[in-house]
Amino acid sequence: MEKKTFAQKVDAFLMKDETFILLIMGAAAAIFAGTFMYIKFGTGAFNDIAIVQMLRDGLDGGDFAAAAGFAAGFLIARVLEGPLVGILDIGGSLMTGVGIGIPALLLSMGVTMPFDNILFALVTGAVIGLVLGAVIIGIRKLVPDGVAVGGTSIMMGAGNATGRYLGPMIIVAACQYNVWAGIGSIIGGAIFYKLGKEMTGGAILGAMILGAFFL
Amino acid sequence: MNVEVILYSVIIGVIGGGCIAAGAARMFHAPEIQAMGAFRTLGEFNACNGDPVAHFSFGLGFFFSAAASALGAGALSGDVFHRIVPNWAAASLLVKNRNVEETIQNPRKMMMAGSVIGALIVTFLNTMATIIPEKLSLIANNVLTPATGWMLNPVMPAIFWLAAIDAGRYTGMWGTILGGISALVSGNAVPGIVLGILIGKSAEENGYKSGIVKVLIAIVVVMFIAIAYFRGFFAKLGL
Repeated sequence: MEKKTFAQKVDAFLMKDETFILLIMGAAAAIFAGTFMYIKFGTGAFNDIAIVQMLRDGLDGGDFAAAAGFAAGFLIARVLEGPLVGILDIGGSLMTGVGIGIPALLLSMGVTMPFDNILFALVTGAVIGLVLGAVIIGIRKLVPDGVAVGGTSIMMGAGNATGRYLGPMIIVAACQYNVWAGIGSIIGGAIFYKLGKEMTGGAILGAMILGAFFL
Repeated sequence: MNVEVILYSVIIGVIGGGCIAAGAARMFHAPEIQAMGAFRTLGEFNACNGDPVAHFSFGLGFFFSAAASALGAGALSGDVFHRIVPNWAAASLLVKNRNVEETIQNPRKMMMAGSVIGALIVTFLNTMATIIPEKLSLIANNVLTPATGWMLNPVMPAIFWLAAIDAGRYTGMWGTILGGISALVSGNAVPGIVLGILIGKSAEENGYKSGIVKVLIAIVVVMFIAIAYFRGFFAKLGL
C-alpha cells in the first residue's frame, strides 16, 4: 500500500459523494446561525432584502405564513431537483428554505429555543442540514445510475453557456443606468478583451471607476 | 464595537464559507458527486475563466451591493455565499497558481480559502459596512442587479430551453411543457426545463414503461402541485 500525504487523504475524502452531507451540514448551520444573528442583532441574515423582509414582517406582526409558505415551496423543489441534476441550488434550498422558511415555521409554532444562543442555532442548522443531506444522498442512491447522466451533460452545457452572456449584460445595464457608468464599462470591457482577460471584470471595474468620478 | 457580533461572525463565516466554497469546487465534478452552488454560479465561474482579476472584480461588485443591503436592512444578501465567497476564494488561489484543476476545482483548497474569506466578509459586513462609500454601493447595485436579473430571466430560460430542444424531440417536448408550467407556477422556467430534460432523456433511453420514468414523472407532478399550492397559484385561476 502506497503512503498518502495528509493533503491527499483530505482531497480524496472531499471528493466522495457522501461527504456532501458534512458540507451541507456546515452550510446550513452557518445560514441558520445567520438568521439567529439577524433576530438578535438586526444584521447577518444571508438573503436579499425582499425575502428577509418577509421574516421581519413575521417577527413584528406574529404572522409567519408568508415567509413559511414562500420558502417551503423553494425548499421542496430544490431538494428534489438537487440530487437529480447533481448541483443543489443553495439559494432556494439553504438561504431561503433553511434561513427563512424553517425559522418562520419554528417561530410560528412558538419554538424559540434554537434562537436563544449561537450554539443552539448552529446545532439546529446542522441537524436540518443532516436531514436534507440524507434525503438528497438517499434520492441519489435510489435513482439508478445512468438515468440522469444523459440529461445532466445537456444541463452542464447550458449552464456553461449562460456565463458568456454576463459581460455583455453588464455593459448594457451600465449604459441604461448612467452615461458615465456606461462609458466606463465599455472602456473597461474593451481593455480587458484586448488583454485577453474576461470582459465581465473590466466592465464592472470601468463602470465603478468612471461612475465614482462623474456621478 | 460589539465583541459578540465579531466572534459569531467569524464562526459563521469560517464554517459557511469553507463548506460552500468546497461545494462550489465540487460543481466541476458533478454529476458524479453531489455538489452545491447553482447553475448560474457555475456559469459565472466559467465566465471568469480562471482569471483572478475577473473573479475578484466580479466578487467586488457584489461586495459593494451586499454592503449597501447589510447597511440598509441587515440582510447580507444571497450573493455572499453565491458569488462573493466562491469568486474571491477562486481569485486568491489563482493568484499563485493559474491551473484551474489544482485550484478552483480542488475542494480542499477552495475550502481553506473559502473559510478565511468567509470569516473576513461576514465580519466586515456585520460590523463595518458603513465605511463603503454610498456612491460605490449605488453604482454596483444599479449595474449588477439588472444584469444578473436578466441572466436569471430571460437569458437562462432561453438557453436551457434551446438546449432542451436541440437535445432531441423527447427533451424538447418535456422541456417545453414543464418549462412553461414552471414559468407559470414559480415565475422562472429553468427548474421546469431542467426536470424536463431529465425526464425526456430518461424516457428516450428507457421508454415510458420503465419504472424510473414513472417515478420521475410522479415526483415532478407532486412537486409542481406543492409549489403551486404554497405560492397561491390556484387562487389566481379564479375558478
